[in-house]
Amino acid sequence: MVDIAEIAVSAAELKLGTEPVQGDGVRLSHADPKARYSLRARDAKVLADVIGCALPGKIGDTDGGIACLGPDEWYALLPAGTDLPRGEGLPVSVVDVSSRALGLVLEGPGALAVLSSGCPLDLAKMSVGRATRTVFETVEIVVWREADDRWHIEVWRSFATWLWNAFLAAMPQAK
Amino acid sequence: MLLIHCPYCEEARPEVEFVYGGEAHIARPIDPSAFSDAEWEKLLYIRSNPRGRHHERWRHTHGCGRFFNAVRDTVTDVFETTYKAGEARK
Ligand SMILES: [Zn+2]
Repeated sequence: MVDIAEIAVSAAELKLGTEPVQGDGVRLSHADPKARYSLRARDAKVLADVIGCALPGKIGDTDGGIACLGPDEWYALLPAGTDLPRGEGLPVSVVDVSSRALGLVLEGPGALAVLSSGCPLDLAKMSVGRATRTVFETVEIVVWREADDRWHIEVWRSFATWLWNAFLAAMPQAK
Repeated sequence: MLLIHCPYCEEARPEVEFVYGGEAHIARPIDPSAFSDAEWEKLLYIRSNPRGRHHERWRHTHGCGRFFNAVRDTVTDVFETTYKAGEARK
């Protein structure tokens, strides 16, 4: 009879951490609760008037918690509980997607290396205050560079457990 | 890694953010119900499949989300140019 080795990691054993994890030079934690909105409009001016906030005009730019992801698409990360006007009857789409994603934060001098372990962008060249949709391995994320050593990563809930553990695996001497 | 210039993001981005979308500039029928079987066959299945310059659609799925057109050499895999959807064939 042949012995078959057990699979090293099964999905059932992966756990989404709740407490911050401090590694050598990098810390992984959950972001504060946020209100999230997916915003779409062909005419940015109409949308800006509806929600009463300025919108960044160039893809990748952010302004007051709102990132421009595409030519007609913005993603808002606002204080929890923020309720934006929906603009009924106007050619805009203002959708509350707060429960769709989780925010993870990587910070410290080692954060860039951890994020770069699975993200194909040249993140070292990304300016502070820029945000973009991209991938980590095969999981879609939105990366937001909040400070030189602080990265906010938005990930859809169903991928969050895997991403948390992928970050842990890339963190040096994570405890 | 192959980099593709997205005409909407206006920067070169890694290929894994994109999805290929087949040959570009294939016009949809104005009146599909009047199409014969032979015309449907041509529309759905017959492509130019050139050796060399190929006009093709790509989508920056894990980026700005936009479809755009590209001219890529099918022999060398070099992207000659990319341009926004709706612009004239280059
Ligand atoms: Zn793009």
